Amino acid sequence: MIGTTLYPELPSTDNWSEVLAFFEGRTAILTANTDYLEKLLAQCSLGNRRAFETLYRSVAPRLYSVALRCMGRRDLAEDVVQESFVRIWHSASRYEAHLSAPLTWMITITRNQAIDQLRKHRELPLSDQQQDNVADDSPSALDQLGSAREACALNQCLEQLEGMQLQSITSAYFHGLSASELAQQLAAPLGSVKSWIRRGMQRLRRCLES
Amino acid sequence: MNYQTPELRRALTADYAIGLMPPTARKRFEHLLQGDALLRAELARWLEHLNLLTEPLIEQPVPDRVWRAIVARIEPQTLHVPAKRPFWNWLRLSALACSLLIVVTAGLLYNRDSVQYKATLLSGTAQPGLSIEAHSDYLKVKPLELSAVDGGSSLELWAIPVEGKPVSLGLIPRDGDGRITLSQSQQQLIRVPVVLAVSLEPQGGSPTGQPTGPVLYQGPLASL
Repeated sequence: MIGTTLYPELPSTDNWSEVLAFFEGRTAILTANTDYLEKLLAQCSLGNRRAFETLYRSVAPRLYSVALRCMGRRDLAEDVVQESFVRIWHSASRYEAHLSAPLTWMITITRNQAIDQLRKHRELPLSDQQQDNVADDSPSALDQLGSAREACALNQCLEQLEGMQLQSITSAYFHGLSASELAQQLAAPLGSVKSWIRRGMQRLRRCLES
Repeated sequence: MNYQTPELRRALTADYAIGLMPPTARKRFEHLLQGDALLRAELARWLEHLNLLTEPLIEQPVPDRVWRAIVARIEPQTLHVPAKRPFWNWLRLSALACSLLIVVTAGLLYNRDSVQYKATLLSGTAQPGLSIEAHSDYLKVKPLELSAVDGGSSLELWAIPVEGKPVSLGLIPRDGDGRITLSQSQQQLIRVPVVLAVSLEPQGGSPTGQPTGPVLYQGPLASL
């Protein structure tokens, strides 16, 4: 069952500064960890199994949260994490440190893996229950993202996005929906969906790079 | 399509990064990426930004089975090979030893029975009539183009030493195919080079102990 319970919840507090501290602290740790993760990946490319296990222990919970956000089901998300780490192990030597941070690289692998799976599943007709789940899925996912908005720099930029821009970007990003699939899901004209995403992306980038 | 305009490159990369491209366009773009380092850098920048969308997600504890499954995938040889079982190893070794023993024994037996000499006996018109293999204590006769003989006659095989009289080795079996057992003295006889001959004799063989009828086939017995 896909339900809201499957989505990670924020620490139960009304105090936003606590939430903020939580995220900022975590982001700081992740940034500081970049060198460490790079070293681990370099070791993995040499076939160092212990480095790989350390890497797994460090980033699996993070990648699992991404997979879960994409797939909406724990069993499917577990498969995605499994496949992602097998890929990370085999392609560690192809990681290009000058292009992306190690975590970005690994998240991208996980997300691509998840989206591939979703696209494969989407070719099959959805059962009624799955339809319901899909319907369930988006608002709660959006709520979750919305509630954590103020938590990081990105969110200040996301704030600038209109509702539909944000929703279409998020759906495309996590579920790999094509523009026409999005149009169907959001019950909006294809042209509008495309422009929401294009403008949203432009605005996002301008804001992030300013 | 012109991929050289910066705006278009950026827009296309954004489409690709967010996952908006239909499958064929995606494949084409991936192909472009392979040969275009700048495009890869542009994509990396987009992904770096977009991956921030995952920032608010809270880390989730991963069940242990996931790690076990990963290990099984990357190290299948250590997990899928059953543990060594001494008993089966012992059995396998014994089986190997037994088969070796059988091979050696069979080899020895075969060698003891090996063909020592061979002769192909020819007719008067140089047609091969029958072949003869000399084993240690018998001759093996194989017909090639053997003339049929009537019921009242027999074919008799002779050994003709270089010096001396022909010695009967026995009758050729009626269908031409079979064995002629050799006595000790006959065995002695064919250890030296001899000529073999087949003569047509009355049924049961020559009554005189020497060939009486025409020699139909002959040939030297040659060592291998």
